[in-house]
Amino acid sequence: MTDPILSLADVTLTLAGNAGPVEILHGISLDVARGETLGLVGPSGSGKSSLLMLMGGLERASSGRVLALGQDLTAMNEDALARFRRQHMGVVFQSFHLIPTMTALENVATPLELAGHRDAFDRAAEELRSVGLGARIDHYPSQMSGGEQQRVALARAAAPRPHLLLADEPTGNLDGANGEAIMDLLFGLRDRHGATLVLVTHAPELAARCDRVVRLADGRIAGQDVRRAAE
Amino acid sequence: MSVAVAVRIARRELRGGLRGFYVFLACLALGVAAIAAVGSIRESIEAGLKREGALLLGGDAEMSLTYRHAEPAERAWMELIAVQVSEIVDFRSMVVVERDGETERGLTQVKGVDAAYPLYGTVELDPPMPLDQALAGNGAVMERVLADRMGLVPGDQFRLGSADYTLRAILLREPDGAGDGFGLGPRLILREAALEGSGLLAPGTLYETKYRLALPSGADLPALEARAVERFAGKGMRWRDARNGAPGMTRFVDRMASFLVLVGLAGLAVGGVGVSAAVRAYLDGKTEVIATLKTLGAEGRTILMAYLIQIGALAGLGIGIGLALGAALPLAAAPLMQAQLPVPVAVTVHVAPLAEAALYGVLTALLFTLWPLARTEEVRAAALFRDASGRVRGWPRPVYIAATGALAAALIGTAAAFSGVPKLALWAAFGIVAALGLLVLAAAGLRRLARRLARARMVRGRTSLRLALGAVGGPGGEAVSVVLSLGLGLSILAAIGQIDANLRGAIQQELPERAPAYFVVDIQPDQLAGFLERLNRDPGVSKVETAPMLRGVITQINGRPATEVAGDHWVIRGDRGITYADRPPEGTVVTAGEWWPEGYDGPPVMSFAQEEAREIGLRLGDAVTVNVLGRDITARITSFRDVDFSTAGIGFVVTLNDGALSGAPHTHIATIHAEPEAEAAILRDLASAYPNITAIRVRDALDRVAEVLSALAAAVAYGASATLVTGVIVLIGAAAAGERARIFESAVLKTVGAVRGQVLAYFALRSAMLGAAAGAVAILAGGLAGWAVMRFVMEGSYAFEPVSALAIVTGGAMATLLAGLGFAWRPLAARPARVLRGRE
Repeated sequence: MTDPILSLADVTLTLAGNAGPVEILHGISLDVARGETLGLVGPSGSGKSSLLMLMGGLERASSGRVLALGQDLTAMNEDALARFRRQHMGVVFQSFHLIPTMTALENVATPLELAGHRDAFDRAAEELRSVGLGARIDHYPSQMSGGEQQRVALARAAAPRPHLLLADEPTGNLDGANGEAIMDLLFGLRDRHGATLVLVTHAPELAARCDRVVRLADGRIAGQDVRRAAE
Repeated sequence: MSVAVAVRIARRELRGGLRGFYVFLACLALGVAAIAAVGSIRESIEAGLKREGALLLGGDAEMSLTYRHAEPAERAWMELIAVQVSEIVDFRSMVVVERDGETERGLTQVKGVDAAYPLYGTVELDPPMPLDQALAGNGAVMERVLADRMGLVPGDQFRLGSADYTLRAILLREPDGAGDGFGLGPRLILREAALEGSGLLAPGTLYETKYRLALPSGADLPALEARAVERFAGKGMRWRDARNGAPGMTRFVDRMASFLVLVGLAGLAVGGVGVSAAVRAYLDGKTEVIATLKTLGAEGRTILMAYLIQIGALAGLGIGIGLALGAALPLAAAPLMQAQLPVPVAVTVHVAPLAEAALYGVLTALLFTLWPLARTEEVRAAALFRDASGRVRGWPRPVYIAATGALAAALIGTAAAFSGVPKLALWAAFGIVAALGLLVLAAAGLRRLARRLARARMVRGRTSLRLALGAVGGPGGEAVSVVLSLGLGLSILAAIGQIDANLRGAIQQELPERAPAYFVVDIQPDQLAGFLERLNRDPGVSKVETAPMLRGVITQINGRPATEVAGDHWVIRGDRGITYADRPPEGTVVTAGEWWPEGYDGPPVMSFAQEEAREIGLRLGDAVTVNVLGRDITARITSFRDVDFSTAGIGFVVTLNDGALSGAPHTHIATIHAEPEAEAAILRDLASAYPNITAIRVRDALDRVAEVLSALAAAVAYGASATLVTGVIVLIGAAAAGERARIFESAVLKTVGAVRGQVLAYFALRSAMLGAAAGAVAILAGGLAGWAVMRFVMEGSYAFEPVSALAIVTGGAMATLLAGLGFAWRPLAARPARVLRGRE
């Protein structure tokens, strides 16, 4: 693989637990190619969400190196990581994580504003229309269903046109129909914008749509299946 | 419904400890403590005044007369009922000191005493010496403030009237000082016998004699009072006894404490906001438990009872802590109070004020918790299967709304009944409710405005500002609780600031421009012509007004005792200045009836001040009996007229026709309007030519009044600070409660690319906006209160005072900013992954 967009080298993650330190990830080395869709699968507690968080700079590795677009995330401070994310990354969570005191439009516009886009609100409105929420831009999260909230979260992640989309079980809190719609949207966004997508999922049908699936167990890579070679 | 089951559920639920209830406990405890402490201090002072009534009065009883001494027969009667009698003469005069060709003059309140003085207690002097020794011959003692002003030290000579005296010692403490009330001049004591030859007690001079009686032990004071009143009927005698040795002081302490309790109640109202928020947050967290209990078959009323018991137990704890603090505080401060207060203080645990504070605490806790508690009945078992965190919204059942109304009425009614000033209590309650209403409206308005601004084009690109506006205007924001809790405390402080500044402005700046330079008393009739001649030829004098004056007591109205008709109205309390005139003095505005014809010599007639007549309920034609110099004069009211007391000029409530009074010995008073440069020469000439007169420099008197006013404003501000502290506790509580939400927001914002500076700026702006809004509303509410008090109570003008207002807004913004930033560090430091995954 030449010039991976993400490159993890011998990464470990140890967190403090009540009964002492808990090793979450053990020496993970993994490259993700530009434009690839990578699925992270594995049983609960296998470390797949933690790995995704490391990729997004939302969690700091205890050792090893995480390179994203050639930059070392492990060497950056909190603010540098935030600036990096606003330029290059979009993150989608299982529980949506919209800010409850903001309308859908404001939630989507926030990363664009932070990135200094003058037309943040126009672009946010356009992004909401593209996920089918043009009529709900002034609604607060509490006034929307789970499926709608996840669409807002998708719009928020995709609006700055990130190079890298990270999704942590994006359909985990949704029923079948809504989950499927979100999957279609997520892959549609990726296809439209050509972003690299890394997603954590328990859903086999979602994993089946990925170019490559990495299986984790006990904080280690237990194997991987390559469905399509990255372009 | 089984109460036993509810109790068991409550007991198990309470195993969770006090977590989440610290603000609840602090709010109740602080509010109750403030009220209990004020009540305890009032009780301590009143008990002290009662216990040492005889000492304060200077005797077991006191009979006082104006303008005259007791006749021999009257004195004999006093000696008959008393073991010992002490005679005192009390009047205002001028201390004169000549030094290096310059003459210094200082106003003083002179007390001429006999050898028996003081009947009780001792006079403390510096250097220490017996009073007899200090007053021997022409010796005198005076308060340090007067000696310092006049540049006198013990051994120096000074003049009073036409006689010279020697200052022997500084007066540190007179045992009956607190009973004498408020005096414009510092005290000077000498032997009454030494006043002979001073020319100060000439007929018509304004002086008072007081006969202090040491009575046999076990004397029946009410019976003796009745006998004295009967014996001295129509003689202008006033009786006081040890049951209330310092009535002015008692009245003052009572009023002040009542007012402070009302301020304390405002604090409790602010605390109520915190109490309500804490209970609501606690019960929101219990939705799942309540739904589970319902699933298991618990009725709504059982659940309500279980949580009522829990909240009741916690309220009991909070009130208990408040009572302990309120009782302990005066005990701890006892040495300080005893040293600082001019009155005796009997500090102990007084049950009555604690019970009063506890009652306020119980009513407040019930009032502010009933509404959230009532909502437990509305939680459905289905909440378990849907969104368990979903709050129950909307109105509770009508019975709870009615109960809330009844509790509010009970709280206000209790305050009105206990305060002793029900009208003030009701106005204060109205003010608090109005301020709370205004604050709720302001919070709602702020949210709307913030919501609108958050979407305005001008804030786009200013991310932190837009986030702050969105947070203030968005759902679930803390705008209402912050604006309410901080706003009420700030409103009270703003009102005090506005009233204090306006009153002081009126007294120290506006009044001196309109008021005369000097107010002169005790001008003998034969001195009047020379007095006027000196002033009329002075180009620096713009106006001189004079009027004859006597002192008299209104004893009867239409043949009934005046107190029966007019209660405790100030006009009939003690003796008042009375004048006579043939023609209406210049500028008189008769508002009803007619002035008597010139040269009228029929039965006595009277013109009465219109406003005071209306307050007492007098009508034209009513017969008013005035006792002057021991003689009853009954006059018919023929007219009412406007009397303006606000200019410090000459104003008499009662003016009689001249035939009724001109034969009585009397003096004249005068007001002199003069240029400041001419004042010193006027005083020098008049005091040299007429040593018996007393000239009061109005500016000095106004300064003295302003000093007293400042002290009162400070006392009220201390009371209000309890409200503010409660507000800050609620604020901190709100900030603490919002910490979880801030941590989440911070994590999401960092995830979408916000740096910490932007997140911090957002938090700071959000806090400052809420605080500034609370401050702005406080200025509006305080300004309204200030305007109402100045316009309707003081009947003066009102001008907005910007300095304290600015301090209030800044203070409000700073308080919320600090509280907000105090809880910003954890959100800023939290790692997004941990926070967001924790909520998955």
